[in-house]
Amino acid sequence: MSAYIPVIGLEIHAELLTKSKVFCTCSAEFGGDKNTRCCPVCSGMPGTLPIINQTAVEYAVKAGFALGCDINKFSVFDRKNYFYPDLPKAYQISQLNLPLCINGLVPIEYEVNGEKKTKNIRINRIHLEEDAGKLIHDDLNGVSLADYNRCGIPLIEIVTEPDIGSADEAKAFVEKIALLLQYAGVCDCKMEQGSLRCDVNISIMKPTDTEFGTRAEIKNLNSIKAIGRAIDFEIYRQSKLLDMGKRVVQETRRFDDNRGETKSMRSKEDAHDYRYFPEPDILQVNFTDEDLDAIRAKLPEMPYKRLERYLADGLNENDAKIIVNQKVLSDFFDSAVKAYANPKSVCNFLIGEMMRRINLGEVSLENLPFTAEQFAKLVEMADTDKVSKNDAKDVFRTMCEKGGDPEEIAKAAGLLITNDTGKVIEVIDEVLAANDKAVAQYKGGDQKVFGFLMGQCTKALKGVCTPKVIKEELEKKLKSL
Amino acid sequence: MDITALKIRDMRNMLDKKEISAAELTDAYLKRITEIDGKLESFITVTADEAKADAAKAQEIIDRGEASALTGIPLAIKDNICTDGVKTTCASKMLEDFVPPYNATAMEKLNSNNIVMLGKASMDEFAMGGSTQTSAFKKTKNPYDLNRVPGGSSGGSAAAVSASLCAAALGSDTGGSIRQPASFCGVTGLKPTYGRVSRYGLVAFASSLDQIGPIAKDAHDCAIILNEISGYDYHDGTSAKRDVPDFTAKIGQSIAGMKIALPKEFYADGIDDEVRNAVTEAAKWYEKQGAVLVDCSMPSLKYAVAAYYLIASAEASSNLSRYDGIKYGHRSEFGDSYNDLICNSRSEGFGDEVKRRILLGNYALSSGYYDAYYGKAMALKQKIREEYASIFENCDIILTPTAPTVAYGVNENISDPAKMYQADICTVTVNIASLPGISTPCGYDKNGMPIGMSIIGKHWDEATIIQAADAYEKQFEYVPAKI
Amino acid sequence: MDLEMVKYLSKLGKLNFTDEELEKVAGDMTSIIEIMDTIKEIDITYDPLKDNHNVYLNGLREDKAMESFPTEKILQNAVKSENCFVVPKVVE
Repeated sequence: MSAYIPVIGLEIHAELLTKSKVFCTCSAEFGGDKNTRCCPVCSGMPGTLPIINQTAVEYAVKAGFALGCDINKFSVFDRKNYFYPDLPKAYQISQLNLPLCINGLVPIEYEVNGEKKTKNIRINRIHLEEDAGKLIHDDLNGVSLADYNRCGIPLIEIVTEPDIGSADEAKAFVEKIALLLQYAGVCDCKMEQGSLRCDVNISIMKPTDTEFGTRAEIKNLNSIKAIGRAIDFEIYRQSKLLDMGKRVVQETRRFDDNRGETKSMRSKEDAHDYRYFPEPDILQVNFTDEDLDAIRAKLPEMPYKRLERYLADGLNENDAKIIVNQKVLSDFFDSAVKAYANPKSVCNFLIGEMMRRINLGEVSLENLPFTAEQFAKLVEMADTDKVSKNDAKDVFRTMCEKGGDPEEIAKAAGLLITNDTGKVIEVIDEVLAANDKAVAQYKGGDQKVFGFLMGQCTKALKGVCTPKVIKEELEKKLKSL
Repeated sequence: MDITALKIRDMRNMLDKKEISAAELTDAYLKRITEIDGKLESFITVTADEAKADAAKAQEIIDRGEASALTGIPLAIKDNICTDGVKTTCASKMLEDFVPPYNATAMEKLNSNNIVMLGKASMDEFAMGGSTQTSAFKKTKNPYDLNRVPGGSSGGSAAAVSASLCAAALGSDTGGSIRQPASFCGVTGLKPTYGRVSRYGLVAFASSLDQIGPIAKDAHDCAIILNEISGYDYHDGTSAKRDVPDFTAKIGQSIAGMKIALPKEFYADGIDDEVRNAVTEAAKWYEKQGAVLVDCSMPSLKYAVAAYYLIASAEASSNLSRYDGIKYGHRSEFGDSYNDLICNSRSEGFGDEVKRRILLGNYALSSGYYDAYYGKAMALKQKIREEYASIFENCDIILTPTAPTVAYGVNENISDPAKMYQADICTVTVNIASLPGISTPCGYDKNGMPIGMSIIGKHWDEATIIQAADAYEKQFEYVPAKI
Repeated sequence: MDLEMVKYLSKLGKLNFTDEELEKVAGDMTSIIEIMDTIKEIDITYDPLKDNHNVYLNGLREDKAMESFPTEKILQNAVKSENCFVVPKVVE
């Protein structure tokens, strides 16, 4: 197989986290019993009209800012006409010539054979459109069943320039987009639920070619892994075709996850003439500078800003990136630091202990049985010797298993260090009284027995007192004898 | 006294004074429908039982002294306006059994007035046509001559009003579908400014042009209905967020000094002599009352029919794509695949004219043709709007014929769609420019067929065209249809 | 308008015609297109900005979810099964 250069562009569909659908007031929540989140508008009844959701427009613009886009201050909606049973109106309200956002730029970082690389991917456009329904295939009766709950969920489509050159770059890009959208608070990016989906446009060319090759479009990839595998397969398939002197056909393909192959989708082939025209039912959207400033101001702290802050707080770059690269983790970390203002210490415990248990699958980040504040308290207890560093790990294990307050867990397990001097002196007195022989030896100049006595005291004072205090008090007592 | 021939305002008076009851009024109309509609064929669905129940409810409200303008008034509703629980067919086999799960906003507003709905009026299939002869169910006749068409697409509404089968009716107007049948049937029809009346629940033909409006015995009655159905609607993003004035407010005010423009292209060769003469005579009458006639020109009128048909059909081709037999409407017995089923359902469900518009619309939008057709038509739309704006710089209203001819025979023209399209020349620009227009009778031809004239107003200035139409109507010798 | 074009347009519009109908439709369409072609002589272009209705962000619908319609009302005009619209099997 000779060497080809892959040319890849992505179209990412992200469902926006609005309360209502984009063109009607039905709930935009994921799921629901079949056809229970429908009204005459989203089920395409005759005579109904779309009423555009302000927040959906705002979120699309927010996404635009997060991805470094310019915003069209005059934006138009268009109809994309095609027949498919999941599209009740037989047209999708979308945007063609004047989308909300254009000309973005997203930097990505990725590794090739352990070597770190960076690249900028240009965003052609982000437009707002509506999602389609779902078809359930009933093989037994040989029919398909249409559920329109998802019809009209607001979607943004992010379209890149063909700047992506490999599966690794594509994966890094989608991960980055997911991160940015999550930080912007506009999409939960749950690929497994379909709230983030990706279409891949891919062609290959020889290094000497001056024009791109014929591209294939792979539809609806719903995991990062699938994106990588589909691209690798497609590069292999297209290379093989060209090597054999055959041609790549421009077509839509579907990725079969089980077989790891892409397959031609003939059912979507029949008409590629979408007959776009301006949607007459929606008056266009205009933005004033103040509108845009207000939306920009609502954009939360983005990942690169958080990274800067973490580095300034003294976190090392590796740890800081691990935290920033998962929004839930980063939010958890920030809440914990708010409760206990020692970022480095919180970070160490978080990276060391919490991530370990998460990676072992003992707990999941999305569903922690304890709060960030409880976590912070445990770190603080360990730092202030309220519990020994080793015991802190045991306390944390209990927190992971059952949740709860670390102080109560430590207390119940007898691991809480109180440094109660009265109690210490009392116990030391008892230990010395019980070991008068050893005390006599010590007094006689045998310093070695101090270790033995210290051991006895520590054992008796487990969970009450730190060794340091025991040592001090024991020395004081022996000297006074 | 024949109470079915009364004006709405007289009915209101008598209802409120308890001189008649809502039930008597309703029964009188239902009786007339039973007697006459067999030959007129203006209703697709008559909702007699519901009407009687409506009348009883209206009477309670009247008795409590809480009547609104239209409480207890029996109306017909064009069959493309959705009525919850009552079949809304659009005169198409496609929607023969379609029962909407909701009410159009205009219908909601009438219902909150406690009107009496007598039934659903026939029309051209999906409002595409000017004769009501493309109706799949009731090919309505003209009350002045049962061998002639009532016009269309709101032919059922206009004929029913003209024949006193209802007090008034709602129609819809995309390119003249209220004004032209009003003209053919010798009654008054008003197409409001685009955005004045919510389109929610009006089964879409061409979304950027469609508008619901009243057809009534005169302009004053139109104003009374328009008062009740107008206003911003949350469900229609193209409805205007502006206050609704009292459209009867200017009725009776002097028209002296009013400037009336007569764009010469509307009086050119394609217009029947009798029609041109009648409208010109009406203009002279206005002049005698002190109005000022202004000569002017609309150079782009010659492109208007093409621009209108391209835009309307493009939008229609998209609007009608939803009829696939899956969610509602005619579902073919044949077709094992999705594609076969919807092709068969659509081919069986739609009539010839609807199919032609779908083809034309797809042609105008298809890749390679968009710029030459749809794009150019949209540019022309802007040009026509500009020409209207410049005419209105020097006038208050514009006066034109409503149609080039009076109502023609039921078998004429139908076979030549291109010729039918040309007949819309007088009305389409009003929709293209989103303006309000009213058609009112201004004469009868040698066969006694009504001739209509159109008065076009500035955006949102329905009150002035109502004023002008009313002034003319007050002195006009109205000859009712003898049916 | 030639038959190929009519066939293409019918495919876009999901309409079937018999060969005989196709001839008739092509004839009708030809005379209709003749009228449409009158606009070819004028040289103007559409400007979307001129059609601006000046609707701003704050004029759009507030994002509030409201109750949906009862499922049976949504399905009242359809062939239904398991609270869904029944479609002939779609093969992807």
